[in-house]
Amino acid sequence: MDVDLLAQAVVSGVLIGGLYAMMSIGLSLSWGALKIINLAHFTFILIGAYLTYQLTTSFGIDPFLMIVIVFPLFFVAGALLQLFFEWAKVDEFRSLLISFGLFIIFTSLVRTVWTADFRRISSEDNPYASASIFVFGVALQVPLIAAFIAAVVIAVGTSLALSRTHFGRAVRAVVQDAEMARAFGIDPRRVAVILSGLATAYSGLAGVFIAMFQVLSPTMTFAWFGIVFSVVILGGLGSPYGALGAGIIVGVVGGVATVVWGPLSAPLVTFLLLIAALLFRPAGLFRRSTA
Amino acid sequence: MTTRNKTLIGFAIAAVVLGLVPNVVDVLNAPGFYLTFMFTMFFWISQASSWNILTGYSGYFSFGQGAWFGIGVYTTGILAAKNGWPFLVALPVAGLVGGAAGLLLGLVVFRLRRLSGEIFALTTLAVSFVLASVARLTSLIDGGRGIFMTGTPLPEFLGDFRTSMYRMTLVIALLTVLTAYLIFESRLGWGLFSIRDDEQVARGLGVPTFRYKMIALGTNAFFGALMGGVWALQIGFITVEDVFNIRVPLLVILMAVLGGMRHWMGPVVGAAIIYTLTDRLNSAGLADLNQVIIGALLIVLVLGVREGIYLRIRARWVASAVIFFGAMAVLTVFDVTSSLIWDFSYALLITMVMLLIPTPLWERLTPRRIAEPPGDPPPELPVPSGKAST
Repeated sequence: MDVDLLAQAVVSGVLIGGLYAMMSIGLSLSWGALKIINLAHFTFILIGAYLTYQLTTSFGIDPFLMIVIVFPLFFVAGALLQLFFEWAKVDEFRSLLISFGLFIIFTSLVRTVWTADFRRISSEDNPYASASIFVFGVALQVPLIAAFIAAVVIAVGTSLALSRTHFGRAVRAVVQDAEMARAFGIDPRRVAVILSGLATAYSGLAGVFIAMFQVLSPTMTFAWFGIVFSVVILGGLGSPYGALGAGIIVGVVGGVATVVWGPLSAPLVTFLLLIAALLFRPAGLFRRSTA
Repeated sequence: MTTRNKTLIGFAIAAVVLGLVPNVVDVLNAPGFYLTFMFTMFFWISQASSWNILTGYSGYFSFGQGAWFGIGVYTTGILAAKNGWPFLVALPVAGLVGGAAGLLLGLVVFRLRRLSGEIFALTTLAVSFVLASVARLTSLIDGGRGIFMTGTPLPEFLGDFRTSMYRMTLVIALLTVLTAYLIFESRLGWGLFSIRDDEQVARGLGVPTFRYKMIALGTNAFFGALMGGVWALQIGFITVEDVFNIRVPLLVILMAVLGGMRHWMGPVVGAAIIYTLTDRLNSAGLADLNQVIIGALLIVLVLGVREGIYLRIRARWVASAVIFFGAMAVLTVFDVTSSLIWDFSYALLITMVMLLIPTPLWERLTPRRIAEPPGDPPPELPVPSGKAST
C-alpha cells in the first residue's frame, strides 16, 4: 500500500466531504425542521451549477463572484417554494411525491436549456479548476478548499443561528410544537419560509463549487442521490454539524475505498455504511436516538 | 352470485379475450406494434400492481422496485444467456431469487424496533444502489461488460418473439393482479390495511404485523423480479445503467398514485393511463416535454385527486363510460388519427379532464347525485341484533 496515495486519498476525502456536506445541509434542514423531504434540492444544486457555468462563460464573471449572485437568487426561490408547500398543506409522504415531480420537471428543463452534452467552464473563465496547493507533497485543489471552508462557515453559522439567535429559537419552537409556538407569537409560516430560503441557497452554493471543478451533465443528480442521503441520514436530520461530520466520513471512506479496491467500490462501501447506520444508529452517528 | 365470484369470472373472461388478441392480430393482419404496445402495458401493470401490494396496502413506501426488477433481469440474463438454461426454467428462478432478496431485506429492516416509513423508503433506495455497484464490480454478474440476450432461444409453442413476449407478460400480469385482488379481499389484506392505518394499534389487536409485512414485501419482490426476468428479452443488451436506474421506481410510483393506492384496480388503471401517455409523447418525439408533463401530472394528482383516478371513475362511472366510449367511437368512425392507439390515448385524455374536476364542483354540476349515488353501494349499517361477526 502506497502511503502517499493513501494520505492523498484521506486529505481529498476530507475536502470533498465539505462539498458533500454543503450539498446535504439544505435537504437535512428541510427534512428535519420543515418535515419536507425535498428532492428538488438535487435540482437546485444542478441549476446552481449550470447558472454558474452560463454566467461565467457568457459574461466572464469570476466563479467566486457567483456566490453573491446565487445566494440571494436561490433564497427567494426557496422561499417561494415554501409558500407553495404551505399553501398545499402536505405531509411528509406527499412532499416526497410533489418534490419528486418538481425534480423531474427541473431536470428536463435543464436538459432543454443546456442539452444533454457535457459542459465545463473554459479555463480562461475559470482559472481555479486546475489550481492546487501542495502541502507536504499532498495536492489540495483550490475549488475543494474553498468549498470546504464555505461548508464549515455554513455549518457553524447555521448551527450558531439555530442555537443562539431569536430566529433559531423560533425554528426550534416550531419544530417541537407549531401550535404552541403560534400561541407564543411566532409565525410558523414566516419561520418556515426563511428556513427554506436558506436551505435552498446552500444547495445553490454547492452548485457553484461543483461547476468550478466538474464536468456538468443533467444526469449527474442521480450520482448525488446516494451520497446526499447517506450524509443526511448519517449526520442526523436537521443537524448542520452532523452533516459536516458525516460528509467528511463519507468523503474519506469513499476516497480510501477507491485507493484500496478501485473506483467502482466507493459507492458500494458508502451504501453499506449507510445501511449499517440505518440499522444501528437511525438517529444519526452523532446523536443518541431519543424517545 | 357473490362479488368475489363475479370478479373471478371477470378475470377469466379478461384472460381469454386478451389471450386471443395475438390470433386476432394475426387474422386481421394488423401491424405488430399493437402487440408491443400491449405487452409493454402488461409489464407496467404488473410492476405497479406488485409495488402496490407492499406500499399501497401496508403503507411502507418503497423506492426498491428497480432493485427487484433488476434482480429478475440479471437472473435470467445470467442463467439463460450466459449458462444456456432453457428460458422457461430460468424465469421462475428469477422470481424466486427476487422474492428471497425481498425477504432478506425484510428480515433486516422489519426487525428494527424504530423503523419509520422514511427510513424504510431510503433503505430500499440504497439497496438498488448497492445492487448496481455489486453488479458493476462482479464479473460473474456483469462486470461492466453487459449481457447479450438477443440469441436466447424461446420455446416453439409461444410463437414468434412478439407473440411470446405478449403471452408471457400477459400471464404474469394476470397472476400479479389476481394475487393483488386475492390479498385485497383476504384477512392478510385487512391486516395490511390496519398496519397502514396504525401499526401500533394493529399489533395490539393481534395482527401478526411482522409476518404480514414480510409476505407483502416478498410478493412484491417476487412479481417484480419475475416480470423483470421476461423483460430482459425485450431489453436485448443488459447494462447496469439500463437496469438499475430511477425510471422503474419513478414510473411505478406515479402509476399507483395516479390510479389510487387503496384499491387493487388502482395501479392497473394508473399503469394503463401513464404508459399510454408516455408512449404517445415519446412516439410524437416529445421525450423532454414528456418528462415535464409527467412531473406536473404527479403534482396535480397528489394535490387534486387524493383518492386516485380509479375511485373517481367508480364515483362518476356513467360520465366516464359515456365520454370514453363516445370519444373512442367518434375518433374511430371519422378516422381522425392514424391508429387505434392514438384514438385510445385521446379518449383517455378527454376522460381524464372530466375526472380532474374537483368533487364539490362536480356535485354542483350534477345535482341528481344527491338523491342516489350511483357508484358505490351505501355502507352497510351495523345491525343491532347481536349477530356474531362473520
